[in-house]
Amino acid sequence: MAPETDSLFARVTSSESELPLGLTLLSGAIAAAVVFPLIWILANALEVGAGTAIDLLTRETTLRVFLNSTLLVAVVTGASILFAVPLAFLTVRTNLPLKRFWTVALSMPLVVPSYIGAFAFVSAFGPRGELQTMLAPLGIEKLPEIYGFTGAALVMTLYTYPYVFISTRAALKTMDARLVDAARTLQHSRWEAFRRVTIPQIRPAVTAGALLVALYTLSDFGTPAIMRFDVFTKVIYAEQNSLSTFGQDLAALLSLQLVVVTFVILAVESRVRGGDNIATNRASTRGAMVRLGKWKWPALALCLSVAGLALVVPVGILMAWLIRGGSSSAAASLEFQWQYAFNTVGVSAIAALVAGLAALPIAYLAVRHRSRASWLIERASYVGYAVPGVVMGLALVYFGARYGGRFYQQELILFPLLIFAYVVRFLPQAVGSTRAGFLQVSPTLSDAARTLGRSPVAAFREVTLPLVAPGLIGGALLVFLTTMKELPATLLLRPTGFKTLVTHIWSAQASGHFGHAAIPALVLVVVSAVSMLVMLAMEGYDVK
Amino acid sequence: MDSRDTSGASETGGRKRRAESAGTSRRRFLQSAGVTAGIASLAGCTDFLSGESDEPGNNTTTTSDFGQIGSGRTGDQIQGGTSMQDMPDLSGEITVYSGRGEALVGELISYIEGLYPDLTIQPRYEGSSQLVQKILNEGENSPADVFFSVNAGSLGFLKDEGRTVELSDEITGMVREEFHDPDGNWVGTSGRARTIPYNTDTFSESDIPTDIMAFPDADQFSDDIGWAPSYGSFQAFVTAMRILNGREATKQWLEGMIELGVQEYTDEFAIALAVADGEISAGFTNHYYIQRVLADREDAPLATAFTEGDAGAIFNVAGAAVVDTAQDQEMAANFVRHLLSAEAQAYFATTTYEYPLIPEVEPIGDLPTIDELNPPADLDLTQLSDIRPTLDLMREVGISV
Repeated sequence: MAPETDSLFARVTSSESELPLGLTLLSGAIAAAVVFPLIWILANALEVGAGTAIDLLTRETTLRVFLNSTLLVAVVTGASILFAVPLAFLTVRTNLPLKRFWTVALSMPLVVPSYIGAFAFVSAFGPRGELQTMLAPLGIEKLPEIYGFTGAALVMTLYTYPYVFISTRAALKTMDARLVDAARTLQHSRWEAFRRVTIPQIRPAVTAGALLVALYTLSDFGTPAIMRFDVFTKVIYAEQNSLSTFGQDLAALLSLQLVVVTFVILAVESRVRGGDNIATNRASTRGAMVRLGKWKWPALALCLSVAGLALVVPVGILMAWLIRGGSSSAAASLEFQWQYAFNTVGVSAIAALVAGLAALPIAYLAVRHRSRASWLIERASYVGYAVPGVVMGLALVYFGARYGGRFYQQELILFPLLIFAYVVRFLPQAVGSTRAGFLQVSPTLSDAARTLGRSPVAAFREVTLPLVAPGLIGGALLVFLTTMKELPATLLLRPTGFKTLVTHIWSAQASGHFGHAAIPALVLVVVSAVSMLVMLAMEGYDVK
Repeated sequence: MDSRDTSGASETGGRKRRAESAGTSRRRFLQSAGVTAGIASLAGCTDFLSGESDEPGNNTTTTSDFGQIGSGRTGDQIQGGTSMQDMPDLSGEITVYSGRGEALVGELISYIEGLYPDLTIQPRYEGSSQLVQKILNEGENSPADVFFSVNAGSLGFLKDEGRTVELSDEITGMVREEFHDPDGNWVGTSGRARTIPYNTDTFSESDIPTDIMAFPDADQFSDDIGWAPSYGSFQAFVTAMRILNGREATKQWLEGMIELGVQEYTDEFAIALAVADGEISAGFTNHYYIQRVLADREDAPLATAFTEGDAGAIFNVAGAAVVDTAQDQEMAANFVRHLLSAEAQAYFATTTYEYPLIPEVEPIGDLPTIDELNPPADLDLTQLSDIRPTLDLMREVGISV
């Protein structure tokens, strides 16, 4: 266990140090269910003989893929922090003009599926792309290479940094800013005050966001595939498609290796996370705003370039597709139907609800009852996040078909399986956010309720839960957003005839009917944007 | 991507073409099918999720146009073969796992469904490889009746796993021997040939080598030829070369092409367009991309050349098999038979520009008949899906795939 049980934390949790049996069993069961599909991966990988396994894993391609994946995760995570933390600081603690607008604009890239972002960037900046075509009359023959590592890292960063941005903002808003003022009165420079007071307080939030970025980067398939950069997911996919038993073996082994890398990332995060936020019994107090002065313009330029690049490029390209594709008499079966949007919202809402409920006991246990077991349960809930959707989908098809009997054939269990896949993959988002919620609420509050004669359950329901609600709902909304964008598992597990926005986008794009892909993609972005606005509005209801 | 700029032009081109020509009945058939062509420039990277990259992208036909083919005016439109009307009726529910895109075969499948009042077809569109793995994972519990695949490789794989059933000679006998499984477990339904598109302003046919191995040394192509290495069909072609000429020769070929200054494109339709535009003078593509450009721009300086008896001239098929879990295997087989009907074969010829596989229906456009092609002898098409060593090799010489 990480050395995170500092004295402060020990003090906070001392009142409830014993693990409650029922809750532990419940959380344990959820964690076990989440890890369950990994058994299939493990079983597949074990079928490969040890000799073959070592042979495959030490091949040059495998090693390069390992290095590529690690490098991409490191750079994207690092760059996300480098962008997100200053941006969060600017939008919370300074007199940046139009702060509300920038908060929304800088969070919005999260609603754009990264593969659509990647497509847009290739269309715009690729060889013979929109930009080059536009610049051709000026004699510009070639643009800097978009394919490869640079493009993959750029696009991944642009569409994942909001995880860090949003969580850091939340921490900055709730931290007691008077501490900074106190440090300033102690003759610390602004930077020193930031380093010694602010950074330790926002560190858990930053690492929690960074963890989501790292795991998303590791499991994303679309972006590296479009950017032609060989990472685990891309090679696993190619191996599966090579349709030789040999390829299947390597795919299984690489999946396993991917899971191991996930564990390493989880362990690193656990160490870096450091002491958790100080639970306060009072509302946060805003210290004086930092006045930007002449730094206003560079700050605005930073906000504008990040939000502009991440939002204007894909929306512009989608609009171009819409206009150009509008006139063609494309295949009738590709006509957009609102049913796809309803389907998408429906499954995403159910997945968000289930994930929120499942996250509650896990997060509660992890915060209130520190122990090796609760730590293990919480970490286990993260593992599914890094398993690529295709691997997860195939694993669940296997289990569904083996044990689902007639119900599988009649497709009655596909919906539950689909929801399960979503929950397994996106539960960490709900756990992380709910966990942060619990950290902000002092256990002394429910202790007080207990002394007033409330049962533990009643104290939790009447006192703790309302205070945790913003974190819980925020986490569920994050799951909702991510579920709407998920493609590979949706394709594999959806009942026949059940179409969602992304499956429709996929059909249209794969056959080159970009005009037909544009409408569902724009609908997806708009629906996501609305839920993002709801999520941001919740910031208003900081824990009081 | 400049190829997408043509979508507007293609629309008007198609209309003009329809208005101008009223020649032979074959021509009229082409027009009535409402053939338009357009954009697929990103298809090479879009189908990262579909598993196969050789779906012809964007040809469309409207339901009513295609409906007319089957409902009445058959005489002057169907060129040959057996009409669906003369085939056994279909009824009940058939689940089709389709590795071919909905945009391409959706109309055909709804057409068949509309033909019989008691028939429900449940199509499930995913990548061919993904569907094969799904069937294997589903085991005995698979709802699939028919597997309709984009290439012979995935059909062969499913057969080798023992998950297909034998079709009657009556069905497999409809296509030539090399286009169905020797044991009759799958049958090809349409074909695609590897070709060399070339710009007729720059080259005449005699300038194009008939030996694929001669290309790296052909200086006339220096910095003037294009390929799409991330494209599934191209990878199948390199796989064929690996099988036919060996790994070392293939590596030298790839390195030679890079040295020659080959231009990289994201997909093969973009190559055909670039050749027509004179941006490059030749390339490597499937045959139907050339036809699609010509359908839009009849006077484009674009023509098709073939190599002879080597990897550059492979002819792969899309096809179908009956899955062993089919509820009613006879009905499923009869569905497959419908894919070989005169209507379906005409549909492939006119809307996807593929080669029809029943001898009575000819290919559309300026193409040799199947008999005139020279694909390599004794190449097992089902081997072409083993792209893993091919990808390794391509990465080894520095091609990013």
